[in-house]
Amino acid sequence: MGTQTYAHETITDDKGRELVVKVENLQKYFGRNHVLKGIDLEVYKGEVLVLIGPSGSGKSTFLRCLNFLEDPTSGEIRVGDVHVTCGSHGGKFKKDVHEIRMKCGMVFQEFNLFPHKDATENVTEGPILVKGVKKEEAVRKAQELLTKVGLGERMDFFPSQLSGGQKQRVAIARAMAMDPVLMLFDEPTSALDPELIGEVLKVMKELAEGGMTMIVVSHEMGFSRDVADRVVYMDDGYFIEQGPPSEVFFHPKDERTRRFLRHILPEKEPEHAKELGILEVDQELPDPDADPLQHEPGAALSQDNLHDTALPDIPLAQGPSGETPLPPGDEKL
Amino acid sequence: MHKRHVFVSVALFAALLALAVASLTPMALAAASPSPAAEQGTPVVTGTIPNPEDPRGLKGWTGDQVQVNFDPNGAELDLAQCKLFVAEIKEGDTERIYNEQQVTEPPRIIPAVSRATSTLQFSWEDAYPEGDYAFKVDLVTTEGVTVTYEWDFASTGSAGSGSLVNFQVMKDWFWFIARGGVVTVELTVISILFACILALFGSLGRLSKKMTFKQAWDRYQSWGYMWRMVLGRIPYWIATFYTSLFRGTPLLLQIIFIYLAIPEVIKTLGLPDSYNPPAFWSGVAALSLNYGAYLTEVFRAGIQAVPKGQNEAAWAIGLSGWQTQRRIILPQAFKIVIPAVGNDFIALIKDTSLVSVITVEELLRRSQLAGAATFSFMSTLLVAAAWYWALTIFFSFWQAKLETRMARDKAREKEKGKAK
Repeated sequence: MGTQTYAHETITDDKGRELVVKVENLQKYFGRNHVLKGIDLEVYKGEVLVLIGPSGSGKSTFLRCLNFLEDPTSGEIRVGDVHVTCGSHGGKFKKDVHEIRMKCGMVFQEFNLFPHKDATENVTEGPILVKGVKKEEAVRKAQELLTKVGLGERMDFFPSQLSGGQKQRVAIARAMAMDPVLMLFDEPTSALDPELIGEVLKVMKELAEGGMTMIVVSHEMGFSRDVADRVVYMDDGYFIEQGPPSEVFFHPKDERTRRFLRHILPEKEPEHAKELGILEVDQELPDPDADPLQHEPGAALSQDNLHDTALPDIPLAQGPSGETPLPPGDEKL
Repeated sequence: MHKRHVFVSVALFAALLALAVASLTPMALAAASPSPAAEQGTPVVTGTIPNPEDPRGLKGWTGDQVQVNFDPNGAELDLAQCKLFVAEIKEGDTERIYNEQQVTEPPRIIPAVSRATSTLQFSWEDAYPEGDYAFKVDLVTTEGVTVTYEWDFASTGSAGSGSLVNFQVMKDWFWFIARGGVVTVELTVISILFACILALFGSLGRLSKKMTFKQAWDRYQSWGYMWRMVLGRIPYWIATFYTSLFRGTPLLLQIIFIYLAIPEVIKTLGLPDSYNPPAFWSGVAALSLNYGAYLTEVFRAGIQAVPKGQNEAAWAIGLSGWQTQRRIILPQAFKIVIPAVGNDFIALIKDTSLVSVITVEELLRRSQLAGAATFSFMSTLLVAAAWYWALTIFFSFWQAKLETRMARDKAREKEKGKAK
C-alpha cells in the first residue's frame, strides 16, 4: 500500500492479536466547547468495539476524529502502522491523514452515497481514483462485494432507486472496497425504518465474524450483546466505563452508566432491564415528564453536564408517541 | 444508458458550436474591425449612406446628404480638400460623368462612439430626385494622401408608402437585420461559455476560505502556517474583488471601457494599434466578465447546496480535495445550477444589444443602421424586437425541455427501482 513513513514494529496483545488503533490523550475543542477530554484507546485486530452514550457525549466526534473528518486539537492517533500527532499541519501531516483515511472505512448515519453514480460506481470510485486499480478489476471486486451484502440484483441501480437499508449496505460495500484495516460505523441504523435495521445489522455481523476490526457507535443493544467484544460507555467527553457487553450492560459499575442504561434498556431490551432491576427504579418515578436525573444521589461528578446532555435522551426512554416507559410485566415489545 | 446519451449530446452541441463559431466569426470580425492590410496613415472606407448593400435601393434616401464611414487608420482628414462627386446613371450609359457636388457647408466629421470608425458627412440644398446614381468621394489627409472611393446606388423601385409601419422596408431589410441576429447568438453563446468558466474558478475561489486568520493563529500559533495561509487566501481575495467590481459597475460602462480605454493602455505601452481588441471580442470580454461575476455567486450557491456528507464520504474513502470537487461535488452542483444558468442565458441574449454602442453589428445595431438609412425606425426596430423575442422563445423552449428531461430522468430511475 504505497510507501510507509513509519515502520513501527508490530505490537500485539496477550492473545497475539495485532494492534490496529491506538489513541492517546485525544482532545477536541469546538471553539471553547471541550468535546473530547483526553481519550485513550487501544483496539486489536478483529475486535468489535461498540460506543454508547447520551447524545452530545462526543461518540460521533470521537469516531470522526479517528479518520480526521474532524481535526482533533491534540493527542496521538495511530492506525495500522501510520502514526499522526494531532494538531500539527503541513505536507507530512496531510500525507499521513490520507494514509489513515485509506485504512479506515466509514459508514455514515445518512449513508452519503453519491447520488449521480450507480451502486457499482459508488463502490469502484475509491479503488480507481485513490489506489489506481484498473476499472475491470475494480468493477469485478465491486460486484463481489455487492453480492456479499445481498445486492447482486441491484448493482446498476442509482441511490434514489434503493431503500434505506439497501443504501446503507452499498455504503458498507463502498467502504470495504478500499480494503480497510478498520471499519467505523457512525449510527448506521439510526436513519432507517425499523423493518430495515435487521438487514444492515446482519451485514455488519457477517463482517465482524469475518474478522474485521470495527468501531461502532450504536444503541442497538441486541447487536452489541451478540457481536461486540467490548462496550464503551462515553459521557461528557470521557470514556467512563468499558468492558465486555455482559459487564457493562448488566453489571455497570459507574452510576452514570447505570442511569443511561436505565433510559435505553427498558425500550430496547425489556427482558434484561427487568433482570437488572432497572424497571423497578423507573417505576418509582412519580412523573414520567420530570427529569429523572434531577435529584439523583451519587452523581457528584459533572452533575451539570450530565444534566444537560442527558436531557435530550429522555424521549428515548418513552415510546414513539411519548408514552411512559414500560411498566414491569408488560412485555408487548 | 442515459449517461452516454448526455455525453453524446454534449459532444454534438460542442461540435456544432465550434462549427458555428468557425464559420461565423470571420464575418463578425470583418464587420467589426478594419482590414489589417491597410497601411498606416491611409484611411479605409468601411461603409456609406446611401448604402449600396440595400438590395432594392434606398428608397428613404433624402437625396440631400451623403455619409462616408471610414477607419482613419491613424490619419487626420483635411476636410476642406475632401470632395464628393455625383453622376446620374441613365439607361445604356457606359461611363460615369461625375460632377463635383456643391455643398452648402464644408463636409464635417460626425462624432460616433467608435474608435475605428469616423463618419464624414456632405450635405446640400436641392435634393436629387429618385433615380440611379454613382458616387465618388476623395478623402484627403493632412499628409496629402488621397483615397478615392466609388459606389453605385439605385433608388428606383417602389418608394416607401410613408405609413408609420412600413412593411416594404421590413421586407427589404429583413435579412440585413437577420444577419445581425447571427452575431447576437454568437455573442450570447461564446459569452455564456466564458462566463461559466470564469464562474467555476470564481466560485472555487470564493469557497476557498476555510478558517479566519484568528482561528488559524489560535489553532497552530505558527508563522509558517500563517504565511502559507496568506498565499492560500489569494484566490479568495481575487474572486471577491472580481465579483464585487463587475457586479458593482454598469455593464454598459464595462463594454465601453474595454473597447475605448484598453487601446489607451496599449498606446501608452507603445504597442501598435493592431493589439487593440476588436469590437466583437471587446463585447465578448465585457459580457463574459459581467455574467461570470453573477454566475460566480450562482455556482457558489450550487456547490454549497450539495450536502456536506458528500464531501465527508469522499474524503473517508481517501479522495483528495480536488478529486472530491471534480468527481463528486461539481457534477451534483452543475445539476443544481442548470435552471439558473438557463435564466442568465436568456437574459444575456437581450443584454448583448448593449454591445451595439461599440459598432458590433448585431441585431440592434443593424436595425438602427437600417432605420437610419430608411428613416423608418419604427419598422426596422420592430423587426429587431421580433428577432429578440423569437430567440428568447426558442431558447426558453429548450431550457424548459432540458429541465423536464432532468426531472424525467429522476422519475425513470424511480420507476426502474419499483419494477425490480
